[in-house]
Amino acid sequence: MMNYMPEMTFNVDHGYLEGLLRGFKSGILRQNDYLNLVQCETLEDLKLHLQSTDYGNFLANEPSPLTVSVIDDKLKEKLVVEFQHLRNQCVEPLSTFLDYITYSYMIDNIILLITGILHQRPINELIPKCHPLGSFEQMEAIHIASTPAELYNAVLVDTPIAPYFLDCISEQDLDEMNIEIIRNTLYKAYLEDFHSFCRELGGATAEAMCEALAFEADRRAFIITINSFGTELTKEDRAKLYPRCGDLYPYGLQLLAKADDYDQVRQVADIYGHYKELFEGSGTGPGEKTLEDKFFEQEVNFMKNSFMQQFQFGVFYAYVKLKEQENRNIIWIAECVAQRHRAKIDSYIPIF
Amino acid sequence: MGALFRSEEMNLCQIFLQSEAAYACVSELGELGMVQFKDLNPDVNAFQRKFVSEIMRCEEMERKLRYIHRELKKDGMKIPDRDENPKAPAPKEMIDLEATFEKIESELKEVNTNAEALRRNYLELTELKEVLKKTQIFFAEHGRHGIVDDAQHALAHDEGGGGFVPVTSVQLGFVAGVIPREKVPAFERLLWFANRGNTFLKHDEIDQPLEDPVSGDAISKCVFLIFFQGEQLKARVRKICEGFKATLYPCPESASERVEMLNGVSTRLEDLNTVLHQTEDHRKRVLMSAQKEIRPWIIKVKKIKAIYHTLNMCNFDVSHNSLIAECWTPVSGLEEIQSALKHGTELSGSTVPSILHRMQTKEVPPTYFKTNKFTTVFQEIIDAYGIATYQEVNPAPYAIISFPFLFAVMFGDFGHGFIMFLAGLWMVITEKKLTSGKSDNEIMSMFVGGRYIITMMGLFSVYTGLIYNDCFSKSVNIFGSGWHPSYDFRTLQKETSWTMNPADHFDNTTGPYPFGVDPIWQSSMNKITFTNSLKMKMSVIFGVSQMLLGVLLSFVNHAYFRRPLNVFCEFIPQLVFLMCLFGYLVALVFYKWLFFTAECPQYAPQLLIQFINMFLLTYTPRVMPANFTGDLYACTSIEPTSINATSQTVFFEHQQPIQITLVILALLMVPTMLLVKPFVLRARHNARVKRRQGLYATSQRTLIHNEEHPEPAVRGKDNIAINGEEEDGGIVGHSEVGISEPEEDEEEFDMGEVFIHQAIHTIEYCLGCISHTASYLRLWALSLAHAQLSEVLWSMLFRFGLTFDMAYVGGILLWAVFGAFAVVTVAVLLLMEGLSAFLHTLRLHWVEFNSKFYMGDGYKFAPYNFKHLLDADLDE
Repeated sequence: MMNYMPEMTFNVDHGYLEGLLRGFKSGILRQNDYLNLVQCETLEDLKLHLQSTDYGNFLANEPSPLTVSVIDDKLKEKLVVEFQHLRNQCVEPLSTFLDYITYSYMIDNIILLITGILHQRPINELIPKCHPLGSFEQMEAIHIASTPAELYNAVLVDTPIAPYFLDCISEQDLDEMNIEIIRNTLYKAYLEDFHSFCRELGGATAEAMCEALAFEADRRAFIITINSFGTELTKEDRAKLYPRCGDLYPYGLQLLAKADDYDQVRQVADIYGHYKELFEGSGTGPGEKTLEDKFFEQEVNFMKNSFMQQFQFGVFYAYVKLKEQENRNIIWIAECVAQRHRAKIDSYIPIF
Repeated sequence: MGALFRSEEMNLCQIFLQSEAAYACVSELGELGMVQFKDLNPDVNAFQRKFVSEIMRCEEMERKLRYIHRELKKDGMKIPDRDENPKAPAPKEMIDLEATFEKIESELKEVNTNAEALRRNYLELTELKEVLKKTQIFFAEHGRHGIVDDAQHALAHDEGGGGFVPVTSVQLGFVAGVIPREKVPAFERLLWFANRGNTFLKHDEIDQPLEDPVSGDAISKCVFLIFFQGEQLKARVRKICEGFKATLYPCPESASERVEMLNGVSTRLEDLNTVLHQTEDHRKRVLMSAQKEIRPWIIKVKKIKAIYHTLNMCNFDVSHNSLIAECWTPVSGLEEIQSALKHGTELSGSTVPSILHRMQTKEVPPTYFKTNKFTTVFQEIIDAYGIATYQEVNPAPYAIISFPFLFAVMFGDFGHGFIMFLAGLWMVITEKKLTSGKSDNEIMSMFVGGRYIITMMGLFSVYTGLIYNDCFSKSVNIFGSGWHPSYDFRTLQKETSWTMNPADHFDNTTGPYPFGVDPIWQSSMNKITFTNSLKMKMSVIFGVSQMLLGVLLSFVNHAYFRRPLNVFCEFIPQLVFLMCLFGYLVALVFYKWLFFTAECPQYAPQLLIQFINMFLLTYTPRVMPANFTGDLYACTSIEPTSINATSQTVFFEHQQPIQITLVILALLMVPTMLLVKPFVLRARHNARVKRRQGLYATSQRTLIHNEEHPEPAVRGKDNIAINGEEEDGGIVGHSEVGISEPEEDEEEFDMGEVFIHQAIHTIEYCLGCISHTASYLRLWALSLAHAQLSEVLWSMLFRFGLTFDMAYVGGILLWAVFGAFAVVTVAVLLLMEGLSAFLHTLRLHWVEFNSKFYMGDGYKFAPYNFKHLLDADLDE
């Protein structure tokens, strides 16, 4: 009974949190707010306007002058506080689901730290730059490792992302290129794992999440391919980095593995209706949106749709993603305001 | 009655404030709290308004005050509350305030950084001391056993400081340090993994908690010792320590050196302690000076901010260098506002007075009732349903009596009522104390808020309790029962129950029991049947009267807003409908009470059946026997069967034609309500359109003929006439106050919409009358439930306690049983039953009563007032 109709008992365990989350969601800035924000002359104006939104007094205790990094920290802090609250209140399987969301931040943090260490930066300087959602205990000891194997054995073996790391142990050195490979390998393993986890959950969660993760996987495949042109990465190695849980798998990925330049990638995308549109609308010229922004826009749309359905976990994932996008938007506007560089201030991605 | 019957007459005013006097004037108005400012720049962003820099300065000040406040709290210093109400300081004093806060803040920050540095130093020294002590103990213990002997010896020969220098054969080194306790397991595990088990960790907890230098929180830490072999491992261990934020301390190898170092550390610690104390004292002094003043400061800053927020709502008139504010004010308060403005102008030293100018407007003014502490709670009950439309009849003054009364009908028990009354009275008497302190207890503050209504409800319950003759489910025989049972011992032996015929046993010479229900019913078996009949009839009577009052009040509304059409098409049909059906029912109840006595119980009418038959138009007439000359309907003792008199026959003369007339009259009212108004409205609309066309033609003609003079006169006159008509009609929504914009004259007349609207109204009223009358039966149902529950409690619990026939022990048991009885009485009968009766009363007022006349689509007057800024709470 329980397995066939998870919707019936969903609210018993997760109803409160879903309600809470939908409340959080209605606090996401709207187009109107953005229109006001871009009119700001200084960061103080920005602060004043954010006060009238759901952000309230989150900057009230910051002495002036404000800096963009302070705003960034506070934005992150707000998201983290909300997320932690959800995480602390939830029960299985939502708790595992929320943990899965944090894994991507953990991967980012690890990569950030390794790159930092590679460039001889002291660890104390790097730690504050890590995303607080992805921090874990052993993170700060990461600099003892000099090879991937060591990294795995010494530091990561106890963390939840250790299984993802198994594929990278064979890499010899930690250099710029390898780090990128490690990042993408980790992401691939992570996405595939998350995807299968969501599929096991079944029901509406699987529907919403598999779609979202498939999109994420395909985006990575495209971006990896495009970024690999002109590097030493061989086609076989590249093919190994593609996450195999998207719409592109398996046929599209095979084609992508053979691609040599941007146009060939584009031809692959042409086969898939929804990606075709993205490639068609993008460009690097003035007034055109970059492919990355196009993907972001598409992601925002996906995430918004996720809220249309009830009794599923996709909303939690969607909220974090939307909030992240909102933070990016605010920071973008804040940077433009702070640097008095208003020409591109409108290239934020509106959410609602 | 004035103030509460209709909301205050409101006025839209324009205030011209001279720039230099604006601040002082607005400050005075804030103290007065009678003005609701309108935002004249709703489209302007918060950061683009005129006084944004001042507001930012205020926010900066608030931030500093919050900082000081936090520091005060950290030291556990209370903020004295002396009920002071400082006026908003003049704008130029703001700079002084800012300077003061700046000074205190920087002073505090400096002290804090100093203290922090000192504390950090102190922490490090304490940790070092602990490290030295622990290592000493460790080496002493294990040295004896020879486990680390080699290392100990090997190290003892070292000369170099720091951790470790390889000597001869044994190359064991160690580092010592301190790490937070919760990190120990992970630390240990990582050490093991990273060094493949080639290190040895020994840790021990520090007994006393240490103080975090920044936050001052207590933290528990552990001392650890790591032994390892080789230079490379040492580097790794150090890296891991760094990663885990473990602090490493130099630890000398030889025991004597350690002792020496320990002594040194101890003396330094003592020195540091005195310095720390001095810093603390300094901090205390700074905080003390701030503590006295912080409350007025907070209030002042809040007031300044509120003033500038208000000024931001004004228009700025550059040519006259003045600010123009628009605001709603009660007409009765105009003089006070004038004098406040004058005072403000004087304070600012401005020569040009501020001008208050009354404006004409078509906007609906806000609803404002002047309440006092007694009427507030009743007004709030009504407001919770809907804020009264401007100047419509307010149900609150009626609720003052009807609310406690209907409650009491359901809660009728004078024992319970008296307890409730006492509780309410206690809250009323101690209200100063109860309301002054900010209570965290939400439930308690809710009860305190309703103290007057609780007192009233208690009082009324005592009254209805006396009527029901119910006190904890017992009756009181005050005046002596009117019944005189005449039985003897033999009858009692023969039968368990015994019927008393009122004709024989009721003493009619003294009349009925003078007040309330005769106590003899308490011991009768058909008590419930009797009280049910009584209470049910009473419920209907109260219900119909209250609904009748509601319908009559709707007439007061129609008359006040001059809507004759509504009087003829709504009020009168409604009244007739209600009175023909349910008014008649009430009349029947009284008829039955008055004209049917114990002599003719057999053919006393059954009202319910009679009432149903009235709609079915079925009548069983009485038979006039031959040679019968007496009154066929009199309650005399002729043979009932001979005239076919039962409880279902016609029971008064001309009953049939009267009832049929009433039913037909009532049914006729339905189409009247439904049809007349829409058609009248349509006819009016058409006439208006026609007239306007005519008017348009004339005005064009006048233009052509260049005749200027008649036109404005004609126009003005006609406009007024049209507006007057508009008010009479009152079609659109319920906005009959003349709020319609001038353009609304041209609005399309949608017959369908008007019709649907009217149909909904009619159906709602007609069905409502029936269902609402039935709904009032809850008065009986709840009252029955209450009486039964208290009887159950008495018979199951208390009487059970009285049955113990044991010396002494029985007393104790009875005491315990009484305890349980009292607790259950208060918890279930007073609180739960009370809440449930309250809820039902609320419903009867909101739905049954208000729906007859109350629109409730106004909005509340929210004056700009400093009063709520008076608590020194900065956390929003």
